[in-house]
Amino acid sequence: MKQTVSQQIKKKLEWLGHCFFYTVLVLGGQRAAYCFLYPVIFTYVLCGRKIHRATAPYFRRRFPSHNRLALRLDVFKNVLSFGKVLVDRGWMGLNPKAELSGRFDDSEKLRAVIREGRGVVVLLAHVGNWQTCLVRLKALNVEVHALMEFDQERVSKHFFELRGERPFNIIDVHGFLGGMIEATAALQKGDLVLMMADRLHQGRSASVDFLGSRANLPIAAYHLAATAGSPVVVLFAAKTGRKNYSLAIWDIFYPGRSGREKNEEFVHCAQRFSSALKKYVEQYPYQWYNFFDIWAQ
Amino acid sequence: MENLKKDLKEMLVRDLKLQDINPEEIGDDDPLFEQGLGLDSLDAVELVVLINKHYGLQIKDMEEGRVAFASVNALADFISEHRDTSTG
Repeated sequence: MKQTVSQQIKKKLEWLGHCFFYTVLVLGGQRAAYCFLYPVIFTYVLCGRKIHRATAPYFRRRFPSHNRLALRLDVFKNVLSFGKVLVDRGWMGLNPKAELSGRFDDSEKLRAVIREGRGVVVLLAHVGNWQTCLVRLKALNVEVHALMEFDQERVSKHFFELRGERPFNIIDVHGFLGGMIEATAALQKGDLVLMMADRLHQGRSASVDFLGSRANLPIAAYHLAATAGSPVVVLFAAKTGRKNYSLAIWDIFYPGRSGREKNEEFVHCAQRFSSALKKYVEQYPYQWYNFFDIWAQ
Repeated sequence: MENLKKDLKEMLVRDLKLQDINPEEIGDDDPLFEQGLGLDSLDAVELVVLINKHYGLQIKDMEEGRVAFASVNALADFISEHRDTSTG
């Protein structure tokens, strides 16, 4: 596809930005890169419009009483925290010895549902430093599969590739039938299947309440779990310090076992996920990285 | 083989709850997904589980699924071939 001049310039600037931050990371480490984030993000939030458009649907609902200035500050904090997550990924990708220390107090709960032997659908969302924390799943001694987009060109997003130790297999959502055949087979083997449940790409959805407005969330995960007889675990990560994170289970449920009519059951499941996500953003309001109007999808 | 195809068509209509369609109306070579019977990825999930439940066979990945789920004919071929392998 032919790119316009502005797209070419934007791509070049993105590339330069990446090079700059990787150089800072190599020479000065994580702390130095964090320092550079402040002026870069301040300028971006002050001059950019796109980021305000992308975050406004969330912040208007999360902080309805905030005025314009407070909302600008919210956006700054949000983008800064996202920048730190990206820096961490780059830092850990470039430095094999770099580690974040994390808590996963619920690991025994997760082991218990894995032991049920029916596979587990693990629901994630675009919040916190989820990719970094997934390293912890290696310790579970079970195969992990992630249904996600895997764009080879944007490999910088996948720090596991840089680090050479991806703790999960990627099932391409753009593959035949959205990768659902492989996901089902994985559950039948008793494996873990990770899915993002906060953004609708395609397929069926349910309208649920999220932060006071109706949002359409995908229901494929609940259908998959109900059909395979698997439990659903809602797992969110949060960055809790410069080198610390926490990984926690926010809900566990069993789609299809309530006796409700199928569609009603899936709406109920989507609402449970939405309620867990609401609790998360109440605790970590600036770790929302779903820069997308999920209420309009 | 003809009995297997008949069973598969009945299973599709009954277990996937296909509306306004009789098993006899499904052609042996009609595509199961999209333009054909109009099944989608969530129906594929059910189909994988049904094949496992009724025939004890696992469809492991999308390549196998692409071949097996092309039509009733293809699904019957897949089942008879793999059933022979697993019993033979």
